[in-house]
Amino acid sequence: MSRHSQNGPIYEVEGLVIDLYTPTVSVRAVDGAGFYVAPGETLAIVGESGSGKTVMTLGPLGLLPEGVAVDLRGTARADGKDILSMSPTDLSRLRGGFFGVIFQDPMSALNPMLKIGPQLAEQARRFAGLSAEEAKKEAVSLLARSGIPDPEDRYDRYPHELSGGMLQRAMIALALAARPRVLIADEPTTALDATVQAQILALIRQIQKEDGIAVILITHDIGAVSVLADRVAVLYAGQVAEEGSAIDVLTAPVHPYTRGLLASVPDFRSNNATGTKEIPGIPPNQAQLEPGCRFADRCELVQPQCRTHRPPLVKVGAGPVPHRVACPVVMAAEGIVTHD
Amino acid sequence: MKNWPWAILAPAVIFVLIGIFSPWIMTHDPAAQDYGALLQGPSGAHWLGTDYLGRDMFSRIIGGARTSLVAMAFVLMAALAIGVVIGSFAGYVGGKTELVLISVIDIALALPSLVIALALMGVFAGENFSWMSDYWKMIVALTLAWWANYARMSRAVVVAELQQPYIEAARVMGASHIWIFTRHILPHVLGLVVVYASADAGALVLAIATLSFLGLGVAPPTPEWGQMLVDGMSYIEENPALVIIPGLALTAVVVSFNLLGEAFALQKVPRAVRGRFLARKKAARAAEEAARKEVEA
Amino acid sequence: MQRMFMRRVGLALLLMLAATALTFWLVTAAPGNVAALIAERAAGAGADGEMIAKIADDLGLNDPLPVRYARWLGDALTGDFGVSLRTGKPMAEEFAERIPMTLALLAGGGVLALVLSLAMGIAGAASNGGIVDRVLHGLALVGASTPNFFFAAMLVIVFSVWLGMVPTFGVAGLTSWLLPWITIALFPASVLARVVRVNMQDTMSRPFATTGFAKGLTRSAVLLREALPNIAIPYMTTFGAQFTLMIIGAIVVERVFGLNGVGAFFIEAIRFRDFIGMQAILTLFVVFFVSINLLVDLLAMLADPRLRRPRKA
Repeated sequence: MSRHSQNGPIYEVEGLVIDLYTPTVSVRAVDGAGFYVAPGETLAIVGESGSGKTVMTLGPLGLLPEGVAVDLRGTARADGKDILSMSPTDLSRLRGGFFGVIFQDPMSALNPMLKIGPQLAEQARRFAGLSAEEAKKEAVSLLARSGIPDPEDRYDRYPHELSGGMLQRAMIALALAARPRVLIADEPTTALDATVQAQILALIRQIQKEDGIAVILITHDIGAVSVLADRVAVLYAGQVAEEGSAIDVLTAPVHPYTRGLLASVPDFRSNNATGTKEIPGIPPNQAQLEPGCRFADRCELVQPQCRTHRPPLVKVGAGPVPHRVACPVVMAAEGIVTHD
Repeated sequence: MKNWPWAILAPAVIFVLIGIFSPWIMTHDPAAQDYGALLQGPSGAHWLGTDYLGRDMFSRIIGGARTSLVAMAFVLMAALAIGVVIGSFAGYVGGKTELVLISVIDIALALPSLVIALALMGVFAGENFSWMSDYWKMIVALTLAWWANYARMSRAVVVAELQQPYIEAARVMGASHIWIFTRHILPHVLGLVVVYASADAGALVLAIATLSFLGLGVAPPTPEWGQMLVDGMSYIEENPALVIIPGLALTAVVVSFNLLGEAFALQKVPRAVRGRFLARKKAARAAEEAARKEVEA
Repeated sequence: MQRMFMRRVGLALLLMLAATALTFWLVTAAPGNVAALIAERAAGAGADGEMIAKIADDLGLNDPLPVRYARWLGDALTGDFGVSLRTGKPMAEEFAERIPMTLALLAGGGVLALVLSLAMGIAGAASNGGIVDRVLHGLALVGASTPNFFFAAMLVIVFSVWLGMVPTFGVAGLTSWLLPWITIALFPASVLARVVRVNMQDTMSRPFATTGFAKGLTRSAVLLREALPNIAIPYMTTFGAQFTLMIIGAIVVERVFGLNGVGAFFIEAIRFRDFIGMQAILTLFVVFFVSINLLVDLLAMLADPRLRRPRKA
């Protein structure tokens, strides 16, 4: 199901520590986490609100909202090049041409004063090197490809003239206009109706198949993950709890948090009469820096060492896609051996 | 409001204090003329020098603070009272009364306040009004020019609050109109109005000074900064201090009131965070981590 | 949208009528006896009761108020605003002489305020908390707090008295317009600069600004192409309000620099109890303000795509 390019991951991030500061709040949003995605594969980054998924993915690209001071440390590479030491101009070009980003709420993510079509055309002109005429044609065809009916008419429309689903499709078209190599979808379906959600996900999958781009899906919707993802990374309070192939993580989760997460999802198909089970407690206050595992206060298997020693991410299993877990306790309890 | 630099209120506070305690701060009688000491610079006897009639500038400035403060306070309180009453009444009663009152308010807002005040000063120049002193003419003119804005604000707040569910709940429980208004709605109105008024105070001080500058406000010998400035214009070449000192005083006081207003208004806008802010926070974080590592070790 | 437009125009006309009626009532109710004033001016102290009564009759001053207003309105609509009690010239003539001066002041001041405020606001936004931003903030604050007569006086002290670069009174040639224009533009420019800066700040923190960055635009490009269009409407509204306020600046400036515009006449009319002159100028003011507000409303409606093309489906 996953295809690793011989050239290795196209976007990878390691050892990321991101602190966010506003005049009233200081938060360590990402605490030593990382991920990678290879061309042609879909990585799903899963976690609750506030787990740091967006910050971790968009932070290295400098795409966090203004008004928040950001302190970012770690390494980040796109297509093998170090992006953290890039000049601002180069980084801008990278953001526009190499990466395409789809944001959560299309109604607020698109400029109400600008028409939709010309924005697409401009992306095509600047990054795909098309002429003005070609760019306009490209824009219209992108809108059509994204499933928008009557695209020539929609080209001259303003965002408020389209429905939520149409707008999200328009945003996908916008993200693709520069012919990016990586598509980042940040909660693309959260603001949409259920039926539209499925359509959008299907669209993303189709685009990936046709263009062979890498896709990062940031979401808290396990259903979407199961539909789209080749690999999954589970994030909790800024730390990676578990990562691996979708099959491994979804069907045979190891980390207590992942297990808890999956158990709390209603499954209409199962005959299991026990229903869903929620994880007790609330996510930790990330303004305080605590040593040790962030999940300790809510974990059934918690041991004293969990609170003092940060659990390392170690490889388990011997499959082609590395499956990593950050919980020595559960590994010891179930006799799971590391394959590092 | 937590991170407010309270220091910005200093000139405004000083202004109010000086205004209140002015008779005790003054060194001379601000109206006392001394032909032997005209247009002097600062000295031991006259801390800020003298004006073209030998009057002590320092005392006149202090006196001017009181004049402006008292006038501003009168006008503000009267305009607030009238505006809040009319506006709240309009909003609460609704119907045709509200429409009529809205029209009145709109007409009163059809011209900028100062122009209305000027026009009224012109009207009050007529014989029918000769029983009013110039000072009171100015106060009344400014009040009539200023109330409409507060009326509009009050009405807007009342209308918005009336739509809240808790009002209906209170009615169902049998609360009387007066009770609902004073207990539930009035605090909201006053909240907004007082905030606006604190910044408006600066505009009002400027308006009083402008009227006096144009010769339509406070008359000599009562000290008033705008009027001192217009008098000083004639001596601008010999001793510009006569113009500069009252001007600076005015500017300082208005700046302070404006900062007050701005601080209120900017609460919802995200602040620019940059350079030094980030460096400070990073250092704080690093110190925290170092301290923790020490504890662990 | 046409209907909204017509409705606004209608309301504006109503407002003008009401406001002029109010000023008429105030101005004519106040003086006690205009006829006596006129008689005094014409015949000195020798004016007697008979003469006054005749003048009152001639001018129709004993008619009920609404009749007098209607008469005045009819005259005004044909361009007859009466004769100034102070100068003796028809107000229409005074207008012809003085309106161009005041308009020139307002136009120059307006353009200056526009350019300065945009430059300051955008520069501040580009600096985003840096030293340029903070200095400009301070300047705007002081600029909005400095009395314009004080500023004018300071300009005169520095440029005329000390440096001798510019004439102190009157206008002769372009350079002599500079001080009046700068004085008039000071307050509006400062207020508008803050409007630009604060709105840019607010806009830059909205999600579509982040999308702008995601499109690969540099910060300057995002500022100018994504954020700036969004401040157009609040800017226009404030500019309209400030433009009408500039009339006060014109009044002060005309006095300080000795320019014979409408504002200076107004003050003289007040001081010399020229009620006819006052009424005429107040009418002018009302028409001016209501028209500018109407214009701004319309422009704002046109500028907002959401109003131009309401939601279909």
